[in-house]
Formats: sequence, structure tokens, C-alpha cells
Amino acid sequence: MRTRKRTGWRRIVNGVNIAGLISVLFIALPLYWMTIGSFETPANLASSPPQWFPVPGTTANYSTAFSQYHFWIFFRNSLIVTIIATALVLALGTLAGYALGRTPMRGKFSLLVVLLMISVFPEIAIIAPLYLLMREIGWLNSYQALILPYTAFNLPFAIWILRNYFLGIPKEMEETGRIDGAGPLRTMWSIVLPQALPGLFTAGIFCFTACWTEFLMALTFNAQTNFQTIPVGIATFGTQDITPFPTIFAASVVAVIPIGILVFIFRKFVISGLTSGAVKG
Amino acid sequence: MAAISTTAERTTAAAPPRGRRDANTKKLARIGWGFSAPALLVIAAVTIFPIVYSVIMSVSNVQLSGNGFALNGITGGNYSVLVHAAVWRYAVIFTIVYTLITVIVELVIGTCIALVLERLTAGRGWLMALLLIPWSMITVINAELYGYIYNGTYGVYQYLTGLVGLGHPVILGTPTGAIAGMMVADIWKTTPFVAIIVLAGLVMLPGDVYEAAEMDGASGWTTFWRITLPLLRPTIALAVMFRVLQAFGLFDLPYVLTGGGPGYSTNSLAILGYFAMFKNLDFGPGAAVATSTAALVLLGCLASLRVFRVQVGKENA
Repeated sequence: MRTRKRTGWRRIVNGVNIAGLISVLFIALPLYWMTIGSFETPANLASSPPQWFPVPGTTANYSTAFSQYHFWIFFRNSLIVTIIATALVLALGTLAGYALGRTPMRGKFSLLVVLLMISVFPEIAIIAPLYLLMREIGWLNSYQALILPYTAFNLPFAIWILRNYFLGIPKEMEETGRIDGAGPLRTMWSIVLPQALPGLFTAGIFCFTACWTEFLMALTFNAQTNFQTIPVGIATFGTQDITPFPTIFAASVVAVIPIGILVFIFRKFVISGLTSGAVKG
Repeated sequence: MAAISTTAERTTAAAPPRGRRDANTKKLARIGWGFSAPALLVIAAVTIFPIVYSVIMSVSNVQLSGNGFALNGITGGNYSVLVHAAVWRYAVIFTIVYTLITVIVELVIGTCIALVLERLTAGRGWLMALLLIPWSMITVINAELYGYIYNGTYGVYQYLTGLVGLGHPVILGTPTGAIAGMMVADIWKTTPFVAIIVLAGLVMLPGDVYEAAEMDGASGWTTFWRITLPLLRPTIALAVMFRVLQAFGLFDLPYVLTGGGPGYSTNSLAILGYFAMFKNLDFGPGAAVATSTAALVLLGCLASLRVFRVQVGKENA
């Protein structure tokens, strides 16, 4: 739109592309170190100057992470908590988003602002009462101790995203459904929902990412290894004196891959979510 | 963002007038409350109730015993402990300064990356995909990674600075180094997020304004300062607001990377509150720290309520 026409080699080698290359390096180099670090022997990773290529390479760090540090338990726990919380958020969020977008509820505006505020509230402000409450009802060290708070904390954002999608769907389609005698739930399920699918993807991928990466609540509520999630697991690898970086990197690569693939597949929806009104990092 | 305002206007137009509400409208509103009740109940149970309880705890004498805890009477003691504690005053200043610096740097670099991305002639899709990796990364992993990079004996950073003749600066061992190092780690993770938002704003800018500017002979620099930046303001305001509010809750990074140290130089409010409550079991003062953090965030929210309003649109049905 605004770029001058460039010809020949200047089309590829110009200031803009060089700046692009520098930003790539800034972002990619740490990721590169993490990946090659996971294939290096502990002795080589701790050598100075550092090696640029893992020669000789090894996959021993991966087996150490899984056998010695129980990484598969953390991985399983993260998967269970994240999937159930995301499903709950999508189910409850769809209903609420539809109601807030499409029905003439009084006080909708205030409710939406309150929801937005809750979605940015710091976790530290509620962690102590929640901890004491969960201790009282015996929920410490359980999946529900994380699933319920994750659902609650991610719902406001999902409601926002879904409401915006519902607002964009023509009202006539619903009215057709109503004339044909379909109830409100039925109308939503078979007429409105299929059209709001992109919104569901967006809300889903944001919720998944947030649950997958959450640390404070997971650290506080589930102290037993059997119920710890990946972030807590990785943070407690090693001892006070030794940080086993090769093993940590191997576990990190395994933790980054599923979310990386998901984000890559749904990148269109991530970007639309970041820009369609409500933003969350 | 343009899409939202149009949809908001559409609802305003379709909404019935205030005051008299016919039976059908009432029925629909009832259905609406029915549909949103489960979600609202879950949110209230996990957020509103604990927030209120947190405030109550912060003004009470909390006594913890083996089989429970008790609130014994109201006191202002927890807050006076805070105000007189140098650690708390430091944490407040640290959290605010840290937030300001990181958000400003992220904004500048993020905008640069977005401008570059918009004009990039090769590999744009790949760069976008790359930007999303730090965004979706577990912060704990981010912290461990930088812990390795900054390592004093074999870290990559030491090697690189040695290579260009800057010697071997100590990063995590000194307060200034630890704070700066943590900021870099944070900026690495969140700048891509800012870049994506700004890029989306850039793409939506009207092209004809630029054609007019070009005809008037405006330079690229003038065009950027006089046209692009003012038009981007709402997008940037939104990104800044969410980043600021999020940065107030800073916890994962210092917990893993520095443990709040050396000394208490990287103690954020959240770290301070966490250690008070769960390491020292001082629930009263801990709750006061948590409440003061929440108050800070709330202030930020109120200050940016205008941005929120822009988002919700002008509907009031």
C-alpha cells in the first residue's frame, strides 16, 4: 500500500527486511538455545564457550525427564485440567455470551464491565481465601481445585468473545427458527452456534493457553506430585544447588509442542481474538 | 475494532425503548438470565466471594491453628504493619516502576516489529507464527530459560558479552542486574503480543489517508508521527491497559528466576503477599498485601474505564 516499488535484489535486501530478520533473531535465539539444550549432554551444556550445535546429540534428557522426574504425571494432569476447564468455559460461556448478546436483559452493560474487570483481577488477591476454603472442604490436591478456578477466571473473556460473535449474526435467522417452533435452546444449538464457530475456536484457544500456563494457583492448591501440573513440575525440578537445565529443556520442549501446534493451527483465531475487542496475554 | 462498533449500533437500533417492556421482551430477558446464571454463579463463587473475604481477612486478627483458622476481631494492625514495612513500600514502588518500564519498552519494540511486519515482503506468515510461540509459552519455562542464559559460568549471555569485549557482567547476583535481566525476559515474552495487536490496528487503517499524505509530499517520518500514530491510539491504549493490569500481578517470573532476590530487590507485590501467606503463614498481613495489590489494579481499571466503555459500545438496553 505504502511501500515504494523496489526492483531486483533490493526487493529482498532492504532495511525493512533486515529489521525483520533482527526481530526474528531476538525472538528465535532463546527458543533455539532451549531446543538444542534439550539434546546436549549435561557436561556439554555446562561448558564454556557454549556449543552452537548439540554434538554429540543425546535423547537421554528426555528419558530422564520422564523416568526420573515423573514428567508424564505432570503432563497428564495438565491435560486433564486444561481440557475439562476449557470444555466447561465453552459450554457456560456460550450460554452466557448468547444471553448477553441477544436477549434484552436489564443491566447488561454494567455486567459486561464487571466481567472485564474480573478478567484482569490479580490472582494473588483471591488466593488465600480460596486456599482456606478448599482446605475446609477437602479439595486441596485434586483436579477440581484447579478446574473450578480456571473455569471462573477464563469465563469472562470467553463470554466477551462469544458475545461479539453472536452480535454479528443476523437476527432473522433466529426468528425463522422461532417461527418453526424451536425453543430458545434448540434455536441456539442448531442455528446460532454453527455460525459462531470461529468465536468458539478463539475462546477455546485462549482458555487452553491460559490453563496450560497458569502457575500461582497450581502451586498453591496442589502440593502433591500426583496432582501437580507442568509449570509447577518444571519449577520444582532439581534441588536447591543443582538446576538440571538439560532435563528442564527437554521437558519444556515437550510442554511447548502441544500448545505450539494448537496455536499454529488456530493462529487465525488467536489473532482475531487479540484484536476483536477484548485483549488478554 | 470497526466491526464491533457497527454491531453495537445494530443492537441499539434493534433494542426496544426503555420503560415499557412487553411480555415477550420480559420472557426473553428471563431466558437471558437463565442462560447466564450458571456462568455468573461460577464466576461469583470463585472471584467475588474470595475478594470480599480477602478484604475482611486483611482487617482481622487471623489466628491459624492445626485444624483451622479463626478471625478474632477487627484491627487496622495488618495495614499499619504494611505501611511501616520497608519491604512493602519497596514492593509497591518496584511493581509500579517495573510495570512502567517494561510496558513502554514493549510498546516501542512491539510497534517497530508491527511496522516491519506490515511492510515485510518475504516470510511474513512465518514471523507471525514465531511471534505466537513466546506468547503461548509457560512463564515458568521462560524463567528457567533465562536463568540458563544468564548463568554466571556457562550462560550464553556471558559468552556473547565476552565476545564483543564487554567482559562478564553479573546478572542475577546484583539487584540492578537481576531487575534488568528480569525485564528482558519479560519483554521477550510479551512484546510479540503487543506487536500482533498493533499490527492488526495498522492493517485496519484507511489507505486513502496515506495516498493524500503522499500527494502532499509528506515524508515517511511525518506520516508516521502525524497520521499512523494518532490513528493507532485506541488500539495502543487497549494493549497498554491490559499489559499494565497484568504486570501488576507479576509473580511467576520472579518466583522462578530470582526468588525475589538478591535480598528483596525483585520482590513484587504478588511475591511479597505469597511469601507472607504461604511461607510465613502471616495470613493477616498477607491479605493486606493482596488487598493493596487489588486496590492498585482497581485504580488502574477505574482510570481506564473510558477504554472499557469504548469496548462495550453505547448500548444500554
